[in-house]
Amino acid sequence: MLSVERLSVDIAGTSILRAISLEVAAGEIVCLVGRNGAGKTTLLRALMGQLAPRAGTVLWHGNALAGLPPHEVARRGIGFSPEESEVFASLSVAQNIAFGTWTRPSRERPAADRIAFAYEVFPKLLTYMTRGGAELSGGERKMVSIARALALDPDLLLLDEPFEGLSPAIIPTIAAGIASIRASGRAVLMAESNVQHIPDYVSRIYVIERGEIIFHGSLEAARADPLVRQVASGLA
Amino acid sequence: MATVDLLFAALFNAAVLFLVTAGLQLIFGVQRIVNLTAGSLYALGAYFGASVFEWFSAQGGSPVLLLPVLILSGLLAGQVGFIVERVLRTVYGRDEAFQLLMTFTFVLMFQDVLRYVWGAQPRLLGDLPSVYGTLVVGEFTFPVYNLLVMASALVVAGLLYWLIERTSLGHVVRATAENGRMAEALGANTRRINMLVFVLGSMLGTVGGALVIPTTAASLEMPIALIVEAFAVVVIGGLGSIRGAFLGAIIVGVLRALSLTYFPELEVMSIYLVVIVVLVARPYGLFGKAEA
Repeated sequence: MLSVERLSVDIAGTSILRAISLEVAAGEIVCLVGRNGAGKTTLLRALMGQLAPRAGTVLWHGNALAGLPPHEVARRGIGFSPEESEVFASLSVAQNIAFGTWTRPSRERPAADRIAFAYEVFPKLLTYMTRGGAELSGGERKMVSIARALALDPDLLLLDEPFEGLSPAIIPTIAAGIASIRASGRAVLMAESNVQHIPDYVSRIYVIERGEIIFHGSLEAARADPLVRQVASGLA
Repeated sequence: MATVDLLFAALFNAAVLFLVTAGLQLIFGVQRIVNLTAGSLYALGAYFGASVFEWFSAQGGSPVLLLPVLILSGLLAGQVGFIVERVLRTVYGRDEAFQLLMTFTFVLMFQDVLRYVWGAQPRLLGDLPSVYGTLVVGEFTFPVYNLLVMASALVVAGLLYWLIERTSLGHVVRATAENGRMAEALGANTRRINMLVFVLGSMLGTVGGALVIPTTAASLEMPIALIVEAFAVVVIGGLGSIRGAFLGAIIVGVLRALSLTYFPELEVMSIYLVVIVVLVARPYGLFGKAEA
């Protein structure tokens, strides 16, 4: 479904990603693990079209994504929830979540169904639909951000550090939400720096270090790999 | 009686001022561009409106259609916003000074275009508002045309509120204003939204200019005269706020009418004294918000 081949990205003349290759198949949950500054966010933003690659290709359902503006990437079925959640403060929770149904209307999947599914993943959101985006806690913002990306009706969801900065009490809710997204047949590519947060149900993991993929395999294999253990000690 | 006449004149002035500053506020609110061309668009609307109505009359058009013809001509003239925005787009994301300089460049260019197309002499449509007659309430007499312009401004205010606060397009516009990168990542075509907002803001300015032409002459001084008042409205109401434009326009309209009646030499000073008071007491204006 998503195929990244030797993707390189420079920012202000500095090479941030070097020849990154990865694959995400339909219904998979793939985790991109790496330390802060390793290039996880840069990769997700490059996939979203927010950063132009210097080299390499990104194929989505066999078609090239490179060069498309972010709104076209989103309209092709890739949802994005950034690390800082970036919930619109000037809109209510309900308006935030409905956003993708306005920008990507679909006859096959009516807006009401898509919004209903987003609330199904995070039912707690139903209790504060009318609350403003600025009145939410970190965990609530994270749920809104993921639900908002989900209402776009994507085939693939890019989640940047979905557990970062959240209280331990809310992490199981987010993890359960991601599990139910997978159960719906959608794929998820999530970036994570804290390996303790990687859910057991991930299909595969990629470990990124200084802009390069240094490991690709199962979570168990990663735990056994000495190089990975050196980079991400939490895997040990 | 003089007080009522004065208030009426003030509200008419405020209605036109609101239309132009609402456009200016809309553009700043979404694109963070202080659009100095607002005054030029106002003048363009006035000249173009005068020419269109003269042409319409020459074709045998009824003077009763003055108001709709002027509104349509204003909407048409506002399409120039497409060109201005297309050029402005090249400096999006750069320092605000570039955008300000670019809009100032357009002010100078518009001035020459107006002079080239319509000449240096002021243009007046004549006593056309009288075709709508007057409304007599007790001892007071109000020109119906002016009442219609005020009503039009109220309708525009209501429509803008509905569009921005109550429609999904308005929500997308607000989200784009707040965080364009995130809105884009959620499927919003922010380039198109910027274009739409700029043209809508331009149309408000040109419609304002077209509506005022039956009561005043179109002249090359219009852009500067308007921008002096419009910026007072923006500072008082708060940069980027449509509600602020509404209240600010009324305040500036009343101040202007009062000073023209009692101290005509101090018209601009009286307005800007209030601007200074607002800047000191409420730096972000009555409805403006501090930048995060």
